Amino acid sequence: MRISKAGLLVALAFLAPILVELRTVLAWADIHLSVLETVFVGAIIAAGLLLWAFLPEDGDETTSDRDVSNSEL
Amino acid sequence: MSNAYIDQFPAEAKVVKALFYSSFVALALGGVFGIIQTLHRTDIYRFIDSANYYSVLTAHGVFMVITFTIFFLVGVFTWAVTTSLDREVEDIRFTWAWVALMSIGTVMAAVPILAGLTDSIDMSAAVLFTFYAPLQGHPLFYLGLVLFVVGTWVAGADWFRSWWAWKKENPDARIPLPTFMVLTTMIMWYIATMGVATSILVFLLPWSLGWIETVNPLLTRTLFWFFGHPVVYFWLMPAYMMWYVMLPKFSGGKLFSDPLARVGFVLFLLLSTPVGIHHQYLDPGISEGFKFIAMTNTMFLLLPSLLTAFTVVASMEHGARQRGGTGYFGWLKALPWRDPVFAGMALAGLLFAAAGFSGMVNAGMNINYLVHNSLWVVGHFHLTVGTAVALTFMAVSYWFIPQVTGKELWNRSVALVQVVLWFIGMTFMTNSMHRAGLIGMPRRTAEPQYEGFEFETAVGSVGELDAQIALGGVLLTLSLVLFFANIIGTAFGSRSDTLPDNGYAEALSGSDDAPRVLDNLKLWTAIAIVLVIFAYSLPLLSIVDRGGLFGPDIPPLPVSLESVTFLAFAVEHVATVALESAGNFAQTALSGVIN
Ligand code: HEM
Ligand SMILES: [Cu+2]
Repeated sequence: MRISKAGLLVALAFLAPILVELRTVLAWADIHLSVLETVFVGAIIAAGLLLWAFLPEDGDETTSDRDVSNSEL
Repeated sequence: MSNAYIDQFPAEAKVVKALFYSSFVALALGGVFGIIQTLHRTDIYRFIDSANYYSVLTAHGVFMVITFTIFFLVGVFTWAVTTSLDREVEDIRFTWAWVALMSIGTVMAAVPILAGLTDSIDMSAAVLFTFYAPLQGHPLFYLGLVLFVVGTWVAGADWFRSWWAWKKENPDARIPLPTFMVLTTMIMWYIATMGVATSILVFLLPWSLGWIETVNPLLTRTLFWFFGHPVVYFWLMPAYMMWYVMLPKFSGGKLFSDPLARVGFVLFLLLSTPVGIHHQYLDPGISEGFKFIAMTNTMFLLLPSLLTAFTVVASMEHGARQRGGTGYFGWLKALPWRDPVFAGMALAGLLFAAAGFSGMVNAGMNINYLVHNSLWVVGHFHLTVGTAVALTFMAVSYWFIPQVTGKELWNRSVALVQVVLWFIGMTFMTNSMHRAGLIGMPRRTAEPQYEGFEFETAVGSVGELDAQIALGGVLLTLSLVLFFANIIGTAFGSRSDTLPDNGYAEALSGSDDAPRVLDNLKLWTAIAIVLVIFAYSLPLLSIVDRGGLFGPDIPPLPVSLESVTFLAFAVEHVATVALESAGNFAQTALSGVIN
């Protein structure tokens, strides 16, 4: 994994403001997304994020030392 | 044995624990009323009478922003002073005395608010947390507020006492940063509460007791906002304190700069009060010039806010790099997201940045007209006090509660989900509130659904906006349920010996780098008072001059019918004459142009 599980959770949560704001911003460009379409776009982005997170890193050994966010203080 | 707060200061830990639990009771009650009114005003589920909406909203507002926040922050301040001066309070009975004052005050204010929900008790205080006249509450409500505030004054005296005693023993030492923050905040609070104290004791309380007939509503409003803006800093400064002295510790690093933190707090002390009129941009009776001065002062507040943002992020980055983080943004991954205390505070800070943007709109005198009294404002302050403050407080509770109870946190994963859920819930709720406000949807309204009129939305429909508000509200309520599950689970746990030590972050650039003058509290107090006098004396004088100290002179009642008809005739006559002459003037002007 490229980031910690907790990091992934926070990244997914961060999608919420991005998506709701994106819908407004797109409306300026006359692209009107319905709620369902927004949810759909969100699902695609979330899937992309998950895919990226779970892809093995290029030299996978480094994972453990990158994944410091799980360690206690 | 561990070296937690409860081990170092067992007697004080009891006080702090009592304060935290009191604040959580208020949070729970506030949360219940919050979801009731959310579902009510969005017309998704209504089971209260709309006539009771103001009682519910008063309960939500008062329990959240007076009781929950202030009980929590006085607990934090007690911890901060004792920990950073490394000394017990001077007299624990004195400390319990102000806790008692605050608690009695709260109960006294809560009784009439809650009684307003039933018909069986003839009492109410549906005056909202701003208690604007002519809304009038039961005297008990005002008395309770006074006692509560007096309790906080005595609390401040307690902390000053500790500091004075400490200073005698350490004449040349710098004030430790957490204590410095407590003292500056309290000085600001003493100045600010003069406004509400006057408003309640001189006007509203005698008026609700029937001792005086009338009040000058503009005067009491202005006195309220004299206190009403600084009170937001009374909530925020403890949250900032957590970001300055705790967040770096949880990120695994040090505070970037102690002097910068001190400068920030001094600026907040100076600038918090002379800005209150920015809540009254739409009040007739205050001239534009005074409003403009308030706006200018408000814009200066941006400076300490940005200082805070910079210092806090720099400290986090320092911590992340200590933990092995690299790259421009890569260090973000090395932050301890698994830790609910850290994650909650970081997410709170993130939403606070968004609040800053909508706050700039509120602060601008001209664009304020667009959003004034609309749901936009409610969206704004659920990001500030409802998230930056509330979420920070909930997150640090996961560290504090074990410290003051001596028990391990019940469940860290639930805690993490809780803070993330709050973030998502607030995102949904406040985004739609801001957007609803932009199209003019009012706040403080039980049924903002009107016949024969449609709000024109830019994106989506009003139904969608309402649904999004309700969705956010439901997620927030869930988040609260998880929070209380964790607190209760912890309270019933057993004593642990492996708690982390009590303490706070050291600074990269310490207090020795801070100019001495920063610790000269007398100087800053004097300047703060002078600024307040500049900002308020003329507006207050002109308000009293125009509207009278106790309201305008009331014409003798009953007015006789004849005088009314005469008045109507006179008005009509004047109007006709004015119209005629205007018509004549237009005619001559027009013919002048044509010829
Ligand atoms: C469970 C989470 C919450 C929900 C669902 C919620 C919902 C609401 C809603 C819908 C309103 C607007 C009602 C109206 O204007 O008609 C409101 C007002 C308000 N909320 Fe919340 N809120 C929550 C949490 C909080 C928190 C944590 C705070 C502060 C610490 C807070 C402080 C306030 C204040 C001060 C008002 C304004 C009261 C007034 O206009 O007099 N809320 N809330
Ligand atoms: Cu303000």
